[in-house]
Amino acid sequence: MPQPVQYRGMSLIAHARAHRLVVRKCAACGLLRYPPTHACPWCMELRFTWQELSGRGTIYSYEIVHHAIQPGFKELTPYPVVLVELDEQRGRPTPDESLRIIANLLTPDLRPEAEEKVAIGTRVRVVFQDLADHMALPQFTLTDEPPQGRVWRLP
Amino acid sequence: MKNLRDKYCLVGVGETEYSRGSNRTTRALAVEAVRAAILDAGLTASDVDGMLDYQSGDSTLANHVAPDLGIRLNFYMDVMGGGSSTEALIGLAMGAIEAGMCNTLAIYRSMNGYSEFRIGGTGARAAQPVRGLDLAQVPFGMRSAGQNFAPTFLRHMYEYGTTSEQVAHVKVAHSKHASQNPKALLKDRVTVQDVVGSRWIVKPLHLLDCCLETDNATCLIVTTAERARDCRQRPVSIMGVAGRVSKPRLDFHWAHGPITRVAGYYAKDIVFGQAGIGPEDVDVTGSYDAFTFTTMLQLEEYGFCKKGEGGQYVSSGVIELGGRRPNNTAGGHLCEGYTHGMSMVIENVRQLRGTVDDYCPKAAEGVHTYDYAPGRCRQVKDAEIAMNLGWAMPPLGSALIMRR
Ligand SMILES: [Zn+2]
Repeated sequence: MPQPVQYRGMSLIAHARAHRLVVRKCAACGLLRYPPTHACPWCMELRFTWQELSGRGTIYSYEIVHHAIQPGFKELTPYPVVLVELDEQRGRPTPDESLRIIANLLTPDLRPEAEEKVAIGTRVRVVFQDLADHMALPQFTLTDEPPQGRVWRLP
Repeated sequence: MKNLRDKYCLVGVGETEYSRGSNRTTRALAVEAVRAAILDAGLTASDVDGMLDYQSGDSTLANHVAPDLGIRLNFYMDVMGGGSSTEALIGLAMGAIEAGMCNTLAIYRSMNGYSEFRIGGTGARAAQPVRGLDLAQVPFGMRSAGQNFAPTFLRHMYEYGTTSEQVAHVKVAHSKHASQNPKALLKDRVTVQDVVGSRWIVKPLHLLDCCLETDNATCLIVTTAERARDCRQRPVSIMGVAGRVSKPRLDFHWAHGPITRVAGYYAKDIVFGQAGIGPEDVDVTGSYDAFTFTTMLQLEEYGFCKKGEGGQYVSSGVIELGGRRPNNTAGGHLCEGYTHGMSMVIENVRQLRGTVDDYCPKAAEGVHTYDYAPGRCRQVKDAEIAMNLGWAMPPLGSALIMRR
């Protein structure tokens, strides 16, 4: 695998290699943001700290990719991509805002989860997919917690 | 905001053939389209002194296209962008004239979207490096437009009960329109069953929910209402324009919900405010059909129906020729060909002129049968006001209202 360029924005990936899900926390207003952007979108503060999260959340929406575009994904189809609403900072600072993250829904052994198991409202937790010595991806897997709100999947 | 209603006009439109394999450079295509639009307007090269174009690293530049045609420019700009740029650049053209920088502008988009840089994300686009904010999506197998937009539609299904069958009617309507369009790549009419029975691309999107990939160039000419009076065609006046209006958190719009809300939520007051009209006054729409559901999402967000009722609206017959407010009467990106929005404005200009290029023998003279049986007419009777709803992605869009 080619070595990616190393710069400070890669810290998220580096933290993921240590199996920690981190986001940036504004040093002024304390709000968390994802992805790791360079100022606070609520108060323009530049300073931040890295905050580790519980990695727990709920599927907010999803898709099932049947026709892969990237060559490396062709053997994985059909694979689910999920939009996870994390437990921290739900509905803050306004009711329309939340800390959400895109990832794949994987089985505990890191294969794409079966599409009939993917549903809005289902509870998930973070798992880490090691890709190389220096990087890993934060991914999600199903938990046995009761669902949050109405459970719905594509008919 | 400042109001320039009816002070500027679209006076010329032109395009190349829509194909899957132009065997020409984007420069050659652009030159042909710009020339066609200038001739359509009844102008000469010396009448055009401004040029705007948009692209995403896949096309030619104004400083090549203009001199090929003997055009000397007082103003030009090459803009990065895709869908929703058309309406935005029309607004910029008005601004450039208003600022006294130039008098008449050609706006073009040229692409080999099938044979070179495939719009669907394969080929050269799939090989682009992953860096910066791409890291939040691309490493998870989320790269193409369909993959980027599908969770928005799925959430709409969850929140409002919208169905695949309902949005399939967008493809059905646009295929009906394309069957009246000699230029269209796909002229065969399809059924709802054809759409929902086609293979999955990225659930909840089927193959026939997705637009085409096409080689083509397109051009629009913008000038003042005063100069428009001397042009060859009946002028089409610009009543209002909103350009590249965005939702909060354009970097990662998932962070700011409801994710079923699209940019039109913010654009509609700008564009309707300038025009001084409401959705009920619009006769023809051009709601960008990157996918069947993008047409639906925008129509409901701009108020053509209540929020959440877009599925019912697009499946009610309203958007078909013969319906109350036809949408994308040339067949749109789903059937005519993919132009990053330009062709939808071109079509609406022709609708307002009354000279849509359908199969009616005297179409160019404005004589139409209004017989919407296959292979006949696609002119909307007495169309006075047309609106374009340009789409880039859920959090980014543009809008344009024109009248005859
Ligand atoms: Zn802050």
